[in-house]
This record gives sequence, C-alpha cells and structure tokens, in this order.
Amino acid sequence: MSLFVQQLVLGLMLGGVYVAVAIGFSLVWGILNIVNLAHGALVVVGMYATWFLFTHAGLDPFLTLPLDALILFAVGYFLQRVLINRVIRAPLFFTLLLTFGINLVLINLFLLWFKADFRSVTPSYAGTGLSLGAVTVPYIRLAALVIALVQAGLVGLFMNRSRTGFAVQAVGADKDAAQLVGIDLRHVYALTFAVGAACAGVAGGLLSTIQAISPTAGEPYTLQAFVVVILGGLGRVSATVVGGLLFGLIEVLAQSQVPGLGAGWSNAIAFAVLVLVLVLRPQGLMGRLA
Amino acid sequence: MARPAFSTQPSRAGRRLRRAILVAFLVVVAVVLVLPLTLTQQAADANLDPTTLGIDFAMNKSIVRTETTIAMFVALAAAWNLIGGLTGYAAFGNVAFFGLGAYTVGYLTDKLHLSFALALPLAPVVAAAFAGLIGLPLLRLRGHYFAIATLGTGIAVGEVIKNLDVFGGATGLFPPILRHADALFFYLMAANAGLAVLVTWLVLRSRFGYGLIAIRENEEAASVLGVNTTAYKVGAFALAAALTGLAGGIFAQWASFIDQESVFPIQYNVEMILMAIIGGAGTLFGPVAGAIVLEWLILELAGGGASAVYAQIGLGLLLAVTVIFVPRGVVDFFGGSSRLTLGYLRRTLRETSV
Repeated sequence: MSLFVQQLVLGLMLGGVYVAVAIGFSLVWGILNIVNLAHGALVVVGMYATWFLFTHAGLDPFLTLPLDALILFAVGYFLQRVLINRVIRAPLFFTLLLTFGINLVLINLFLLWFKADFRSVTPSYAGTGLSLGAVTVPYIRLAALVIALVQAGLVGLFMNRSRTGFAVQAVGADKDAAQLVGIDLRHVYALTFAVGAACAGVAGGLLSTIQAISPTAGEPYTLQAFVVVILGGLGRVSATVVGGLLFGLIEVLAQSQVPGLGAGWSNAIAFAVLVLVLVLRPQGLMGRLA
Repeated sequence: MARPAFSTQPSRAGRRLRRAILVAFLVVVAVVLVLPLTLTQQAADANLDPTTLGIDFAMNKSIVRTETTIAMFVALAAAWNLIGGLTGYAAFGNVAFFGLGAYTVGYLTDKLHLSFALALPLAPVVAAAFAGLIGLPLLRLRGHYFAIATLGTGIAVGEVIKNLDVFGGATGLFPPILRHADALFFYLMAANAGLAVLVTWLVLRSRFGYGLIAIRENEEAASVLGVNTTAYKVGAFALAAALTGLAGGIFAQWASFIDQESVFPIQYNVEMILMAIIGGAGTLFGPVAGAIVLEWLILELAGGGASAVYAQIGLGLLLAVTVIFVPRGVVDFFGGSSRLTLGYLRRTLRETSV
C-alpha cells in the first residue's frame, strides 16, 4: 500500500515537471497555432544556463530560475521576431519544419560548445527528502512541483488580468481582427513566443537539478509536452496543469504496475495515451470543442 | 488587381530550356545507372586478384554506396509526396514504415532463415498493413494533430521493437551478408525509386489522384462531391508506406545489420519532407530532384566527426531558409514560369509573414 502511495507521490512530482515543460508549449500552440518542435532545445538552454551559473558563479539552482527566464525570453523574442514570424501565413507544417530546423541548429551548437558530456547540478540538499512514514518526498522534486504550479498561476494571471494578456488572447482568437483594432501583431507574436520560451527556461532550470544535462536531454520533452496538451485540452492554463499532473501519474503507474513495462517504454506509453485521447476525446479532458 | 502567381504556358525559350534540361537529365541518368555495373565488375575482378585491391576499389565502392543511398532517399521523398504533397497531410513519421520494412526483412532472414528474395516482398505488405491500421484513427486528425501523432508513431514503433527480445532487442538483427552484391542493391534501390515515381505518375493521372488533390484543397468539398475521403486518405498513406517499407527492406539486407537507431532515425522524417519541399511538394519530379541534391549535399558534407555537427547546423539553416524564402520549392521557378529573382523571394516572403 505504502509503495502505491509512494508511486502516486512520485507520479504527481513527475507531473509537476511535465506541467513546467508544457505550460510554454501550450501557450505558443494555443495562441500562435505553432507547434514548437524546438521547445525541448529551449528547455536545454535553461539547463545549461543554470548549470553555468551554478558551476561558475556558485548560485543556488533555484535562484537562477529568474535569470533562465530572462535569457530565454530574449532568445524566444528574437527567434519569433526574426524567423518564425516569416512563415505564419504559410501552410501549417512549415512552422513545424522551421522549428525543427531551429531545434537541429540549437542541439548541434550545444554539441559544439559543451560536447556530448553529461553534466549535473548537485546542490548540497540534493538527494534529501521529507519522510512521512514509509513515504519519502524528495525536496527538489517537491520544490519543482510547487514552482511549476506557481509558474502556471503567473501565466494564467498574465493572460487573464493584464492588458497585454488580453491583446495576446485577441491575437489568438483572430489575428486579423486584432490587427484592425491596433494590436501590433509582430510584437505580440514575438512576445507570446518569448513568454513560452521563458517558461521553457524555468522548466530547464528545474530539470537541471533532477536529471543529467546533455545536448539532446530536451528531445523527449517536446513529444511529452504535446501529449500533455492533448490530454488536458488546448487553450487553457488549468487544462495544461491537469494534463501534466495526470500524465505524470499515468507514466509512473504504467511503468510500475503494468508487468513488462519499464523505463524504456516512456515514449511508447506517451504515444498510447496520445492515440487513445485523440480517438476517444479529441478535444482533451478539459478542452472546448473547436 | 492581383497578378497570378504563375502562368500555365511556358514561353518558347522556356520550352527549349526545359527540353535541353530533360536531355541532359536523361544522359546523367543513363551514366548513373550504368556506372555501378562497371565499377562493381572491376571490384569483383579485383577480388579475384587481391594484388590489385587498392584505393580505386575503395573509391568505386564508395561511389556505388553514395548512389545507392541517394536512390533510397529518392524513393522515400517520392513516397512521402503521395501523402504529404498530393493529399496535404503532413506525415512526420514515415520512418516507422522504413523501420518496419527493415525489421520484416531482418526478422525473416536472421531468425527464420528465409532467403532475402522471399522476405523482401513481405516488407511493403507489413508496412502498408500497419499504415492502414493506424491510418484509420490518425487520418481523422488534421494539421498539427496528424503531424505530431505520426511523429509519435515513428518514435513509439522503434521503441516497442527495441524492447521486444524477439526482434533482437537492443542488439539488433543480422541478416546474413550477401557478398559482391553492391550493384544488386543499387539496382534494387533505383528500381524502387523508379517505382515510386511511376506510382506517383499513375496516381496523378487517375481518379484516385484527383480525389487526393481535392482532399488537399478542401476536404469537406471533396467529401460532398462524393470522394470517399477516408478510403482515399488511407489508400494514399498505405501506398506511401509500402514504398517506404520496401526501401527499408532493401536497406536491411544491404546494411546486414539493423537496430532501432539505424532504421528509425527521426531525422529521416524531416529529411524526406525537406527533399520533397525543396524540390516542390505535389509535383512528379520535385521530390526526386530535391532528394538527389539534398542527399548528395548531406553525404558530401557529413564526413563524420566534427564536420557532422557543422553539416547538421547547415541542414537546419537550409531548412529555415527554404521554408522562409522558397516555400513552393525550386521546381516552382524552374519547371514553372516564375523565375528566381529578388522579386520572387520578396513576394513569397510577404505572402507568408505576419
């Protein structure tokens, strides 16, 4: 029983990671209609930023998160303003190709600068946890879950309470009408992508304390972010939170409870969830029908 | 008044140029097709007399190898064109069919000791059957949903196969090596490429092809006009899968070793799409031209080691430049009547930017 509870706890915490990764992905997809295949690479930028600040400036990894967000905000603004804005009105999969190209360039730049070595960020409190009876709650993962939820809350506030957030929503609803009422499309597109990238940066900072850092460490997260968004439903922050937590639970429970499945099956599990949701409930658990 | 993006009638000079290009193309094709025969004949002779084995032998082998790889990608790009170019469904996971074809041949020859000749015809059958199976749910999706669902298919199928010990697990499969068969593999790959082009040509002239194009342009309208959209889409998907699976099957025997990494590489998905788009998606020869040029470039640039990293960066940049500046592909301004001018680039840029 306590083993099962432990699995539930670990599943929720893994879900926190997925929430952190998927928030930015969901925003960019929902508003800009761009499936950003470079999202995983942006997460890795955040990982390397935290690693660099931790190793060379001795900063605590959690203190580097705002800096990660800032760096990635700038990178994201640049990418959208200079490159992706150019293909917004092209057929849909051109944005997929372009972001895949960006992904390829980023990964190989990491390879060039950091080599294929695995790096890690290990603060003094790594590996410690809170013991509640037979169940252990690792501090770092708990903090990651909390920060992911705070991050989701902030994005939700930005979207629903600020004037800029309304402009972003207007662009998401109808970009030409938004332009007619005086919204600067190029800027709002770049801004939205920048916020999405900043979220990826925070996710990367969190992940750097949890897993090994390598140039391709972000690859699985693009597909998983996609599955999270499909599972929860497109277009709402709360849906992404539910989707992320649920997906974390599903993955941990499937790997621990279903005989024959192990850590090597995470992509296959993600894919199975994806197909099931797309067939049974294509709008996602909390999504509105298009 | 908006002027039409292309006119349908090429000028007389344009026609003459196109005829000249066609003749030059046929000459090159003839040379390319005959070359492996003479080169490998030399290789076989050299093998009888080991003293002459040397740098020429290695060079010849590498030329044949390059040609075989390019022929393989011509088939992959042309096959993708059936579902991606003609039907307009952005399939991002065709590598699943390549891998399934490869594993079909690998399993039958390595584990069941079937001969390659008996195993190969099953590769396209397995790939097409799988495409039909997953096509039914997946082809109900549109746009991004379809693209990522297929991308997931490509990744998941590879992972499942890697986790099953029947298929060699992480070790992979070892089809028995065929000796002195370099020319055979080239001709098989080239035949498959030719088959892919022939199939595209037939499809483009058929009722089936018109149905696919109607689906690409407006699926609801096509459905209202009586096109059985599900059957047409699944048909196109399965056809593409069969050709891709056949290429995979030939590859398995050619490589004589396959594992998840070698036959489910994610970048193949995007390479075949990029080839089709650079050449001109939806056209007959666009994907062929794109595959030849791009794969040749990739093979030239990727010498391994550090240069492979630069080659990948180059590929990424090429991807970006292509989708930003020439979204309709090079065939649009060589085969069509629009010319590659600054005005053309500026126009396409303005059409697609926010």
